Amino acid sequence: MSGLTDIDALAAEFVLGTLDASERATVAARLQREVPLQQAVHYWEGRLAPLQGLAQPVEPPANLMHQIERRLAAARKTGVQSITQDSAALQRKLARWRNSAIAAGALAASLAVVLGVREANRPSADQNFVAVFQKDDASPSFVMSVDLATRTLSVRRVSADVPSGKTYQLWIKADELGKDPQSLGLVEGTTTQVKTAIAGIDPMIVQNALFGVSLEPAGGSPTGKPTGPTFHAKLIPTL
Amino acid sequence: MQHVTVTKSGTTSSDLVGLLERVAAKDRTAFAGLYEATSAKLYGIVVRILLRRDLADEILQEVYVKIWEKAGDFDAGRASPITWMATIARNRALDEARKAKPVSLEDMPAGFDVVSDAPLALELLTQSEDGRRLFECLDKLEPEKREVVVQAYLNGLSREDLGKRFSRPVPTIKTWLHRSLSQLKDCLGT
Repeated sequence: MSGLTDIDALAAEFVLGTLDASERATVAARLQREVPLQQAVHYWEGRLAPLQGLAQPVEPPANLMHQIERRLAAARKTGVQSITQDSAALQRKLARWRNSAIAAGALAASLAVVLGVREANRPSADQNFVAVFQKDDASPSFVMSVDLATRTLSVRRVSADVPSGKTYQLWIKADELGKDPQSLGLVEGTTTQVKTAIAGIDPMIVQNALFGVSLEPAGGSPTGKPTGPTFHAKLIPTL
Repeated sequence: MQHVTVTKSGTTSSDLVGLLERVAAKDRTAFAGLYEATSAKLYGIVVRILLRRDLADEILQEVYVKIWEKAGDFDAGRASPITWMATIARNRALDEARKAKPVSLEDMPAGFDVVSDAPLALELLTQSEDGRRLFECLDKLEPEKREVVVQAYLNGLSREDLGKRFSRPVPTIKTWLHRSLSQLKDCLGT
């Protein structure tokens, strides 16, 4: 018997399902960046997959697909949807953003500064981007990450309080999209995580757009434009 | 790639690949077809782990929303479509099981007798080549240790759950698991 390496033992137990909650979370976070662990998990997923055949199929309740459709429709309607999302990945992106931003000296904290750096980025459809909306350099209020490959965008409220009767709204502004900012939906709830599709917008436009988060009355801006205090940010590629 | 016992109504793995490709392009008809073909399978996996139907209903919804969003990530070269989907379902159910208030094993609903059916059901594995290989390798483990592995996978039991069920201290379970998995890897190869 050769014995398992630590990584293999961890991967095997992760796939088997015997790890506790914190161990699972740790593995999930490490999977974001550790290729050997990814490979080990993939190995065990494939090898043990036939066991899935032992679980007897069970018909779900008849209305379940309807409820799924409603969730998807609600997401389309508001452009925003609460979703369980890997905060570890976001933390990692934030760390990367900090490193690259500090390295570049590009800690953009104001609209004026942000507008001043509208350099044209080359198209790179497979890249991930992050943006940080912040009150000051030390404490970002919102972190946004964009995956252009899957055309998904996630906003996480990091430290901003939500005043009673108010809500935060996410905006995109680009010349190609018209004079006014376009709403991407509300950043709602104490879950602090939302996700919205940006499928209808050209990746190049998304990549170079200005984003804003504004404080609005509950339910969103009554005028269709930002009405309250607004944080701005641009996308920065993750490395 | 398996073509057996994965879905109902004779949907094959390549059918599912086609459906997933269309779902990735946000084809809602294909999504409905994918749900029709796979939901009983995934629900069976999720219910088995979570036991509570209300929880399983909620999780299955999340799983299909995730499949809708992530279909573009599916890579037919890396996994069969049903394995990819079942992995999403299992991971979500396991996360939920670990954080949810533990369900007493005595609370198990009828029809989910986890103890008695696993050895018999193992025969089912022989319906595919990957399954035959796994079955042969599992067969080389001592019966009780094999049972620990199968029940852990199928019912989402934690080390603590397994310790109670098999009346062993948790460290013993952990040692068993690691030995069994090591033996399995030696047998299954890379």
